[in-house]
Amino acid sequence: MEVLDSLFGLSSFPLAELEVGKHFYWEIGNYKLHGQVFMASWLVIAILIVASLLATRNIQQVPSGMQNFMEYVLDFLRGVAKDQIGEKEYRQWVPFVGTLFLFIFVSNWSGALVPWGLIEIPDSELAAPTNDINTTVALALLTSIAYFFAGLRKKGLGYFAGYAEPTPIMVPFKIIEDFTKPLSLSFRLFGNILADELVVAVLVLLVPLFVPLPLMVLGLFLSAIQALIFATLAASYIGEALEEHGHEE
Amino acid sequence: MTHWIILLATEAVEEGGGLFDLDATLPLMGVQFLILVIVLNAIFYKPLGKAIDDRTEFVRSQLLSARERREKTEAVARQYEQELVDVRREAQDIVATAQAEAQKMISEQTQQAQQEVQAEREKAAQEIATQKAEAFSNLEGQVNTLSRQILEKLLGPELVK
Repeated sequence: MEVLDSLFGLSSFPLAELEVGKHFYWEIGNYKLHGQVFMASWLVIAILIVASLLATRNIQQVPSGMQNFMEYVLDFLRGVAKDQIGEKEYRQWVPFVGTLFLFIFVSNWSGALVPWGLIEIPDSELAAPTNDINTTVALALLTSIAYFFAGLRKKGLGYFAGYAEPTPIMVPFKIIEDFTKPLSLSFRLFGNILADELVVAVLVLLVPLFVPLPLMVLGLFLSAIQALIFATLAASYIGEALEEHGHEE
Repeated sequence: MTHWIILLATEAVEEGGGLFDLDATLPLMGVQFLILVIVLNAIFYKPLGKAIDDRTEFVRSQLLSARERREKTEAVARQYEQELVDVRREAQDIVATAQAEAQKMISEQTQQAQQEVQAEREKAAQEIATQKAEAFSNLEGQVNTLSRQILEKLLGPELVK
């Protein structure tokens, strides 16, 4: 208990403080919204839109500057989608998978790179939008909807017949999978980002200068990996739903 | 330390917030994300994707036409070479026939000249022979008259008959 007390003593230290699970509520009708999440996500969206506009403002055959960079990004996103979904059908899924990656990636990095703490909001603090469970669950559910949509559009109700491939014993497992997929997607992202920010925050609390830096760099790396994992898994779920019967692994 | 974070989290939950506070943020965030997908599709994926595809197509077609042109050039070069070989052979033929003709002409003319010379020589020899014969006959006549005259002188004209 003494340790705990001393830690609480530290938390009153003016350089840093730690807030978890506190939200800046907006109320629309009877519904409550997490204002800080939306404010942060708008910045992320603004960054993405501005970057896109800069890149496509003056498209040239020989790209340079921003266009070059964004073409590199687009090539990368296409690569992710193509690897998981396959040459034949990946094109129409590039916007969804690509936006998943870009949104999560920019969100994650904004948590580490944007000095959110400088903007004061009541009851909470601004952070990466992805460290709120609502955001990650929303993205994960959209992914589920996307792969159901993909499968149903391609095979109609015959999509569900694929659940009994290669043997009917697989049916319950596949049904469980439909629930675990969004669950694992959302919690993986949420847990990683929140944990990263918590670790950095705790370290800053204990040693305010320099020591947290390597961990912050590691955090940047992990954030990028998480974005890639989310996008790749989403693409692979979609690809799996689009796969022909009898070609399943 | 973990103890303490858990404590903080549970504390927050008691205050009505918490880590797992699902509310209207979820659907709105989803809608917002879908709108972002649509907007980015319009201003990022479509135009840039088109640019990339167009460039790929451009490079491919350029490459193809370049290859075609190279093949054409090579074919033309080959044809020229072939023609060159043909022409050279033709030239050699012409030279050879010309030489042969010249040779033939030379030998013909030499022969002709020799024949002419031969004929001339024969003619000359004949002339010589006739003149010789003529001279002999002349001489004989003269010898006759001279011998008759000698006889007349020696024997007298009455005895000579």
